[in-house]
This record gives sequence, structure tokens and C-alpha cells, in this order.
Amino acid sequence: MNLASLLSKDRINLSLKPGKKDEVIKDLVYTIKKGDDAELIVSTLLKREELGSTGIGKGIAIPHCRSLAVEKLEIAVGRTTKPINFNSIDKKPVSLIFLIIAPPQDPGNQYLITLGKIVQIAKEITKKNLIQKAETPDDFITLINEIEKNLAKRK
Amino acid sequence: MSDIIEMHLNLLFDLDNLIADMEEPSYKKIGFQIEEEASLVLIRKRNELLKKLPPELAEAYEILKRRYRQAIAPVESEFCLGCFQKLPTQLSARTKQIVTCPNCGRILYWRRK
Repeated sequence: MNLASLLSKDRINLSLKPGKKDEVIKDLVYTIKKGDDAELIVSTLLKREELGSTGIGKGIAIPHCRSLAVEKLEIAVGRTTKPINFNSIDKKPVSLIFLIIAPPQDPGNQYLITLGKIVQIAKEITKKNLIQKAETPDDFITLINEIEKNLAKRK
Repeated sequence: MSDIIEMHLNLLFDLDNLIADMEEPSYKKIGFQIEEEASLVLIRKRNELLKKLPPELAEAYEILKRRYRQAIAPVESEFCLGCFQKLPTQLSARTKQIVTCPNCGRILYWRRK
């Protein structure tokens, strides 16, 4: 399974409006779903955040949950124009957010596999200081593709 | 079923899935920071939501959860995604009543288009 293939240009916003953590999460969720479905996803994501921030450090956060409101694994990516407070593990502000929502029924546990992969890719992005590298959604998908290929070579 | 009850029920279901995922070794291995009391906090929150449901619905939910692990099943192309049986065409999301699968008994959920 290739992460780049799960990304779509219209769900990558590289000039996301900065704001409070819950507002930014909501903006990203609304690129996937609208109305009551979106509100259900936001509620579950925020409950998850209460248990410990998904800000993994060095400027990246990966909010995630399963929800009845989606039919398949959905990913949205946002890069805020200014870093925002996400109560991250390292207390540093966040500017790159990968949001992942999975359906409750998930054959092959694709959700947890994808989540693990995003964490791995996020660590590469921070290690090589690539958060600001992509200028367009297409660039971003290409970047993710390259990182994935490099990670695969190392295995 | 009123919109607010439906919202509580769906959130309860999503929280139960969150609890199940957090107990998965493969989730723990990913290494997200989790507060020490996280499971207890989640269980308290799901129990609060359960109390907001009509008692008969709360009871049915708990019985179905014990039986199937997931008490609610989405509907896709007129199939229950819990038991993968085709649903009778007269079943509809537009009812005020809770709708269950005639085959497996799971509570059905129609996604909004």
C-alpha cells in the first residue's frame, strides 16, 4: 500500500488558515465531509486529542480516528501559514497536519498500517527539514512518493 | 430516533472503536503519546453517553456490542456491512425509529450522501 496513492490534490491545503487546534482540525475535516458527518468526526477526533496530543513533535501532528461517517480510509493534509499550538509532545508549535479517518470495518487493518506509515514518513520530513519544501499539492504528493521509495530501499 | 440521540449513539460507537484501537498492540507500537489515565477517561465518557440514550436503546447497544464487538453497522448499496446480507427494500433511514438489521440485529447506519 502506497501512501501517495491515498492522497488527493483537493485534500491537500498548503496555505491552511492558522487558528486554534480544534478550528484547524475542523477545517481539515470539512475537506472530507460536511454537516452532521463532519461534526461527528470532529467530536471523535477531539476526544482522541484529550487523551494525549497527536502532535508527534518537530512541527507535525497526525490527528486520527475511526468513524461511521466515512466509507473508506480518508486522508487530508494541511500546512498552516503560521505554526499553531497543538500541545505537542515537544511543546513546539505545529504547521504540518496529516488527518486520517478510517471506517469502523476495515479489512486487513489498513488504518493502523497507514497510521504507522504516516508516522514514519513524518519523521523523515522532520529529519530532513522538508515541512516547507512543497509549493503545490502536486509537489507534496511527489515528495511523499520519494520519501516512501527511499524508505522502501532501506528495508 | 431524534437527531440528538442519533448523534450520541454514533459518538458512543466511535468512542468504543477508539477504546478498542488504543488497546491494540499495533496501535501502541506506533508510539503516540497517551495520558496514563486515557482508557479510564474514555470509558467514563462512553458511559456518560450511554446514559444519555433511552434505556432500551442503551441496553440493546450493550447487548449487540457484547455479541458482535461493533453494535452498529453501516449500510452500503442496501447491504448491512455487519453481516453482508441484503436488506429489504422497505427499510429506510428516513424513519424516526431505530432501524436494525433483520438478519443480524445490528443497529443500521445510513451515511449521508
